[in-house]
Amino acid sequence: MSNLRLKNIAKDFYDGRNLRRVLYQTNLTFYPGELVVLSGPSGSGKTTLLSIMGLVLKPTEGAVYLNERDITNISDNQAADLRFKNYGFIFQQHMLIDGLTVLDNVLIAFAVQGKKIRNDQKNRAYQILEKLGLKEAINMQPLSLSGGMKQRVSIARALVKDPLILLCDEPTASLDAENGITVMRILKRTAIEERKIVIVVSHDSRVFPFADRLIKIENGQIVSDTREHYT
Amino acid sequence: MRFLVAIKMAIHDRSTTAGAVLGVVAIIFLVGQQLSVFFGLLNLMSVLPDHSVADAWVMSKNIRNSDSGNLIPSSYIDRIIGIKEVEWAEPILIGSGLFRRGDGSFEPVRLVGLKRPRITGGPWSFIQNDERALLDLESVVVDKLDLRKLGHPYLDEITEIGEKRVRLGAIASGARGFQGTLVFAPLEKVREISRTPPGRYSAILIKFIENSDKERIVSQLREILPNCSVFSSEELSKLTRNYYITNTGIGGSFLFSTSIAIMIGVVIITLTMYTSVLSRKKDLALIRAIGGRKRDIFVIVISQVLFIALLGIFIGFLLLSTLLNYTLGSQIPSYLPKEVFPALTIGALFVSLFGSLLALKVALKTDPASVFH
Repeated sequence: MSNLRLKNIAKDFYDGRNLRRVLYQTNLTFYPGELVVLSGPSGSGKTTLLSIMGLVLKPTEGAVYLNERDITNISDNQAADLRFKNYGFIFQQHMLIDGLTVLDNVLIAFAVQGKKIRNDQKNRAYQILEKLGLKEAINMQPLSLSGGMKQRVSIARALVKDPLILLCDEPTASLDAENGITVMRILKRTAIEERKIVIVVSHDSRVFPFADRLIKIENGQIVSDTREHYT
Repeated sequence: MRFLVAIKMAIHDRSTTAGAVLGVVAIIFLVGQQLSVFFGLLNLMSVLPDHSVADAWVMSKNIRNSDSGNLIPSSYIDRIIGIKEVEWAEPILIGSGLFRRGDGSFEPVRLVGLKRPRITGGPWSFIQNDERALLDLESVVVDKLDLRKLGHPYLDEITEIGEKRVRLGAIASGARGFQGTLVFAPLEKVREISRTPPGRYSAILIKFIENSDKERIVSQLREILPNCSVFSSEELSKLTRNYYITNTGIGGSFLFSTSIAIMIGVVIITLTMYTSVLSRKKDLALIRAIGGRKRDIFVIVISQVLFIALLGIFIGFLLLSTLLNYTLGSQIPSYLPKEVFPALTIGALFVSLFGSLLALKVALKTDPASVFH
């Protein structure tokens, strides 16, 4: 079964004077079909954990396994390729590229690797945008979109590659309650219907009811990891 | 696709792109303008050997340019025409005098005396009358751009050079000298004005029979005229240009001003590209995070630089062409050989890439993990 596994992961940062451990030895395994919420206060290490899972940061100790393959010490280019093939990212600030249309932004991952964008990839982008209620916005620029629309475009950008893992960093933080719920519904549906590993980092309690699994982290340590219904 | 993404991003960042384009335009326009004046002056320096139609020049020993030298005896002509490949050998006499302007003041001029009836080494392009005017002993020819200095004499006006009566017989075009106003006149008239003894000349111009071995004949001339300098016209032109470039400070001056123009362009490009990359750092981090490799970032930044450079080159050449058209036929000696255009294009591309190195360094260091901060 596909999975993402972290084995004895730890991370130290040099703060200019001392080496500081921001993430203590952590063991986690994620499976498709579940929406995992990683929660904790600011500075608790959740973004560090997310960065290690997303292969944009190397752990000081431990190993990262993707489908049981050790990908801890792969090269920069190999990591980029793995991110391209297996990961979708959703960020707090949408991070759409100004100057590119909604469709360009959704297809950006294919474009930046210099490959010709195939018709089936374009069709998938159209389908996802339609599904997310963005059919009319395909040729619009990010500047003319609302916050909720921008976040849905970033979801489309993450989904268009059909990745195994969706990593979402505070996806509802910049949205109002209604848009926040819409986004979480989309993510939940994606996890279940498309059998994706969806990991949401958030300290927004509104996202907890959507979680299949809630991991709480404090001071760089996992303090709880529960599969329950949350309120 | 990366190129398209890069172009769209550059077009969106209008102000920074415009700034960088301005840098390239500055390079093309300023360097091009400097070079056009430089080449224009080069043309003036070697105007006599370049337009003489002769294949070789014989002048006094140890000359350093075509404008200076001692007189040589006419007997050399007999030796020269003894070579069977020589079609003709004609003397010229270079002197100086004071041209009396209409208002009574004087303008120093450089006289070029041409032997009739062949009048070789004279002006080659005319706007009023033609070279036949020089068949008349009193007639002189000046360039249209020198008319102002000479007090705007009109055609057939009688005046004096060195207190000798002359008549403006024709007006030429493109026959300007570097050392001063050139006045073409029959050889006898120049001899009279400059009080040169008979049988002495400044140079002997030689034309070879068509398809003859020029190098061999020049060598042969050197052998039979050991007390003279013998040059092909091309050699004399090069010698003269080199002399003025190195001895007048023109070369250094142009090198300095051209370097300044390039430096201004590099600074503008560096700053704007650096600013552009800084303002796009989040986007570059995103591209890295979603699967872009360092080489993809490299391609995107270089594509933007090439787009900016090509746009700047196009606008720069447009402005330069407009300037050159405007100054064509004016007092400003401007001329740009066609070889300069590709050289300037390649140079501007190179300078643009050099100017973007700092931006590229910053772009390649973009940390994909920064997308989570």
